[in-house]
Amino acid sequence: MTSGPGPARRLLRGLSGAGGRRRGTDDGTPDDGGAPGDAPAGRARARAFGLRTRLVFAFLLVAAVSAGTTSALTYREARNALLKTAQDTAVSSFRDQVQQTGWTLPVRGEGLEEVLRDIARKGKPRPWVVFAEYGSVRASSGENPVSTVITPELRRAARAHPSGSFERVVKDGVPYLTIAMPTVLRTGPEGVLPSGLVLYAVMRMTDEQVNVDALLVAARDGALPGLVIALIPGLIAARSVLRPVRELRQAAQSMGSGRLDTRITVRGSDELADLARTFNDSAGKLERSVRELREAEARARRFASDVSHELRTPLTGMLAVTEVLDEDAGRLDPDTARAVRLVSTETGKLAVLVEDLMEISRFDARAAELNTDEVDVAETIRKTLQNRHWTDGRVRTELPSGIRARLDPRRFDIVIANLVGNALRHGGAPVTVSLRGEARSSGPPVLIAQVTDSGPGIRPDVLPHIFDRFYKADAARTRSAGSGLGLAITQENVRLHGGTVRAGNLPGGGAVFTVEIPLRPEEAGG
Amino acid sequence: MCRRAGAVAVASGVLLLGGCGIQETDVIEAGGPASVQAFVDRDYDMLLFFHSRDGGISPVVRSTGSTFEYGPEGGPVDGQDPTGADAVPVPTEKVVLALLSGPDEQDRAAGLSTSLPPAPRAATLRVEVPPGGEEVMADLPIALDGLGRTALRQLICTIAYSHGADGRATVRLTGRDGVSASGTCGLDPASGQRS
Repeated sequence: MTSGPGPARRLLRGLSGAGGRRRGTDDGTPDDGGAPGDAPAGRARARAFGLRTRLVFAFLLVAAVSAGTTSALTYREARNALLKTAQDTAVSSFRDQVQQTGWTLPVRGEGLEEVLRDIARKGKPRPWVVFAEYGSVRASSGENPVSTVITPELRRAARAHPSGSFERVVKDGVPYLTIAMPTVLRTGPEGVLPSGLVLYAVMRMTDEQVNVDALLVAARDGALPGLVIALIPGLIAARSVLRPVRELRQAAQSMGSGRLDTRITVRGSDELADLARTFNDSAGKLERSVRELREAEARARRFASDVSHELRTPLTGMLAVTEVLDEDAGRLDPDTARAVRLVSTETGKLAVLVEDLMEISRFDARAAELNTDEVDVAETIRKTLQNRHWTDGRVRTELPSGIRARLDPRRFDIVIANLVGNALRHGGAPVTVSLRGEARSSGPPVLIAQVTDSGPGIRPDVLPHIFDRFYKADAARTRSAGSGLGLAITQENVRLHGGTVRAGNLPGGGAVFTVEIPLRPEEAGG
Repeated sequence: MCRRAGAVAVASGVLLLGGCGIQETDVIEAGGPASVQAFVDRDYDMLLFFHSRDGGISPVVRSTGSTFEYGPEGGPVDGQDPTGADAVPVPTEKVVLALLSGPDEQDRAAGLSTSLPPAPRAATLRVEVPPGGEEVMADLPIALDGLGRTALRQLICTIAYSHGADGRATVRLTGRDGVSASGTCGLDPASGQRS
């Protein structure tokens, strides 16, 4: 008898521990369910600089740099070649034209313009405007005898060194090629003599400009499709990375929501495939350990259920015997009578414990059913108190009539009886049972039943464990009238109703237990 | 990282393009000058050097015939006869006298002028070529004292080109006042490089 409760308690402690753990997973699941709710916002934020964006940008950048560099270099080379060809052609053909023209010294102003026009007409690659400067003679093939385009630097260079030279000038946005061609007299086999006559040719480079602009357009039009084409490998690369990542995320999410058999198809042999393989291995291990855990838990639960069932049959017999013994105790000698009464009491407690254990087992096995009925709550509570004979002033009531709710009368009776019995046992009389309905800003109105005692209250370090199974607020008092499961059963019953039960202390001392059950007649049954 | 790479890309793009379109350039040398034919016949034509307004010396071609036609102040110049009008090539003395007679109408029309004083009437001058042919010595009928650099170059170049086709001879001048000067013409860029 004395050694009996020990192993049983250990066993049941372990069971309650397992239950607690299981409850933890039950609580964890809605959290996981809530997490995806936040995810879309985070995902949208992450997308702006997500992998796809970064990869595509990187590809575009590489393409832009290479296409840009190639086009720029090509453009520059082509432009320079084009300009060089035009300039060289112009300079050499101008020299030829000047050399082929006969000159008299001193150069005569009369008829000079005609000669210049003749040269200008033969200009290559396009007709020039030719200017001549000799002494004070200024003449041109055009309208003005003196050019406004030719720079003083070119004049100075032509006067200082008898050699041909050119200069590109941009005037009012129009590019000009200006060529200076000093003339020399050939006086001997080697000797040359600067004649003092300098000829200038001015050519508009509009055609070259058109060509150069066309080059620029070609360079740009060549580079842009390159960029567009670069988008495609960028997107493909992003997809090849993102698809496994997305699968991984979905798999992780699916595992989080309890589907532990989730696996990823492993493709290829890259780092992402390694990651997928690792994920699958981890998922497999996790699944195995969770399965083992569940099996162990189920075994323990079944064992507790079986034990209590097995205990009930002999206990029933024992209870019948002890009743007979109790009746006959008066006729026994006092020592034996005390022993017989002790056996009787303890057998009664054992019967209660076994009943409670069976009840808890039903909850753990989710076999507990709610048989609801629409009742007057105040009436139900009053009946509970009457049945337990708690009508002698130790229990005060504040029960406004007219609050009707859909409840399981048997379970609600257990809830109130356990709370009041607990208050009477551990707190102090008088115990107040109050009842009220309260509207909630969110959700349906709730039924609030409060059980308040006048004792010292619950110690703060005990409060979080008050509903644990076999939890003793006073460690020294290992044996009490209760089974140690009363509050746990109360909590399970309230939960079955979709409500909550809270323990707390009043400011002036005294524990208060608050039961809140939503007044949802149609849903309370589910 | 991306931002820095972008900046590098933009910077290199700007550097590579180096400005689109056709840009201005400095003065760029492109080959030699145009060597023109001036139809100088050394037997009948003279090369006289006058200067333009900016101080540069320019050669003009004058045929011997025109010397008589356009003397200083319109008349023929004394001292031409001793050398002979038909001597070939044109004697240097005659060329110097033509130079001293100054630019003609055409030369003046082209903006050419002289810094030399006109030769006195009945002027005489002597031109000697010492053995070797690299030097020409000339006694001039004008005073050299007070003549500017342009005037001396006119004289030297005229004499040098009259003496030789390449005009590289060293000319020693002695004036009526006894002042002497010497030099080379140096208008030929090739000779300038060589010396």
